[in-house]
Amino acid sequence: MTQPIYGIMAEFKTPEALMEAVRAAKRAGYTRLDAFSPFPLSDLATELGVRTSVIPWIAAVAGLVGAVIQYGSQYWMNAVDYPLNVGGRPLHSWPAFIPASMIVAILWAGAATLIGLLVILRLPRLNHPVFAVPGFERASEDRFFVCILQDDPKFDSEAIRDFLGTLSPLAVREVPACE
Amino acid sequence: MSGDAKAVTSQVADVPLSPHFGWAWWLSLLTAGGLVGLLGYTLISVSIIGVGVWGVNIPYVWGFDLINYAWWIGIANGASLFAAILVLRRHDLRTAVNRFAEGIALFAVICAGIFPIFHLGRPWLFYWTFPYPATFQVWPQFRSTLTWDFWAISTHVIVTSLLWYVGLIPDLATLRDRARRPMVQGIYGVFALGWRGSVRHWAYHQRAYRLVAILVMPLILIMQSTVAFEFAVTLVPDWHETRQPLHFVVTGLAQGLSIVLLVAVLLRWGLRLGRYIDEGDIDLLGKLVLASALVAGYLYIDEIAAALLSGGLTQEATFTRMTGEYAGLYWTAIVYSVVIPQLFWLRSARLSTLGGVFVGASIGIGIWFDRFSIIVGGLQTEYLPSIERNYSPTLPETGLFLGTIGLFAALLLLFVRILPVVSMFETRHDEHEEKSS
Repeated sequence: MTQPIYGIMAEFKTPEALMEAVRAAKRAGYTRLDAFSPFPLSDLATELGVRTSVIPWIAAVAGLVGAVIQYGSQYWMNAVDYPLNVGGRPLHSWPAFIPASMIVAILWAGAATLIGLLVILRLPRLNHPVFAVPGFERASEDRFFVCILQDDPKFDSEAIRDFLGTLSPLAVREVPACE
Repeated sequence: MSGDAKAVTSQVADVPLSPHFGWAWWLSLLTAGGLVGLLGYTLISVSIIGVGVWGVNIPYVWGFDLINYAWWIGIANGASLFAAILVLRRHDLRTAVNRFAEGIALFAVICAGIFPIFHLGRPWLFYWTFPYPATFQVWPQFRSTLTWDFWAISTHVIVTSLLWYVGLIPDLATLRDRARRPMVQGIYGVFALGWRGSVRHWAYHQRAYRLVAILVMPLILIMQSTVAFEFAVTLVPDWHETRQPLHFVVTGLAQGLSIVLLVAVLLRWGLRLGRYIDEGDIDLLGKLVLASALVAGYLYIDEIAAALLSGGLTQEATFTRMTGEYAGLYWTAIVYSVVIPQLFWLRSARLSTLGGVFVGASIGIGIWFDRFSIIVGGLQTEYLPSIERNYSPTLPETGLFLGTIGLFAALLLLFVRILPVVSMFETRHDEHEEKSS
């Protein structure tokens, strides 16, 4: 071997063909797969075993933490640290502390979910081996790609090239690794 | 999905990538830029001289600053709420509308934010509303609706801009891949954060986007109610009514929808996007605008009923607003926001560009008069002769208002110039679904 490679990639014209290719690859025993498409394909994500259930948990936990911090700080500041008597109303006037607590819960939940999303996806990452594949720029428009990664236990460059060739792709290409 | 998929969205992508944009855009931007200059001038003058340059004085402590704040925030909340409902319902209209509806919300909330900050009188101390360990060891008063508003506006700005940006990432990647000039490619590339369309990424992206879009919905309802509470906690007889939050939410939604419609017909006409924002979309938007205007009409009737059921000062104040010196504002609001939109019972009016512009602007104007009427109309009767005066905006206030309109228009024009106004990946997704079904 001369150059380290990232994987072998095949290009398809339709999402249906991509779906077929992924199914065939899984049948053939490949486990380390990635697929690329210009729009979300939820069936394919299920097929690849993507589980996104962590997202609502991030939102729920962050929202709860935000609400507790906001409520707690309002209580501590207005009733404990600097008791503020406004027209004889109770120091711990909880109904007045609710709206800001709810708003800040949404702030935490929303910001944590969207920033957490980027962390989970490991973005920003401006350079990636797949960008070196000629024609990959159409993955953001109208082409569909499947890539069998080099760390697959069954990885064998020649065998995979032959296998992907049988799925009638538009092209099969080697993806060189970065560096 | 087939080879013509490229053509599906190329028209949207070509708009930001085209090197020339025509003189009309430049002329509009120049006009808007002039108004932004005016905004800067009025803001500097009010910072140096003080709020005395405004026409506000006891009993009219809230003038154009609060009128325009309430108006802009209504547009922002209405547009956000509408976008959130479309996401929640997974409605087809979201493909055409959501991108710029969220943009409108973001730009409007920026315009809205200017007013309360400068209304403080010493805008450079606005951070005092944030609980930070100050030298005097005094904390903000959290029972005040004004501090709620601080959280609400900042949350709206942060969450809407994050949501908008995250929704844009895949489309920025398309622009990066289509751009021919290296510099343009580089700029879009950096903002696309290296999006590569991995199916795994899409799954997470969609889940997170949808979840946050829906989170925006309760935020908007709380926020618009908070605006109303700012009025309701005062002693002014006409303001501390329990119906006030509902009035603000409903008229705000009408206002947001009408501005979305206005921008939709203008984009459709100006950028020739008839294929993406199609007749069905415009028709449906028109019907929604009409429905929201009818609900606003119901709320006006409710106002009269509530006044009749109340008594004393409250009743007097409400009826003064309808018949007193400021009655013109009240009735103008009703004509513009309820009567004129009835044109939309006609299908031809809903579908015509002129009709959309006319009715969209009309509701915007109507609700502006409504806010004006609420803020100054209920304050008219006073017992001390020394404060018997009327409120009218001074030139710096008018300049400030026109300036924010210019700022809004400038942001919208820049958005149209550099970003795809319709979500391209959603459009592709829809076309695919249609073909496979």
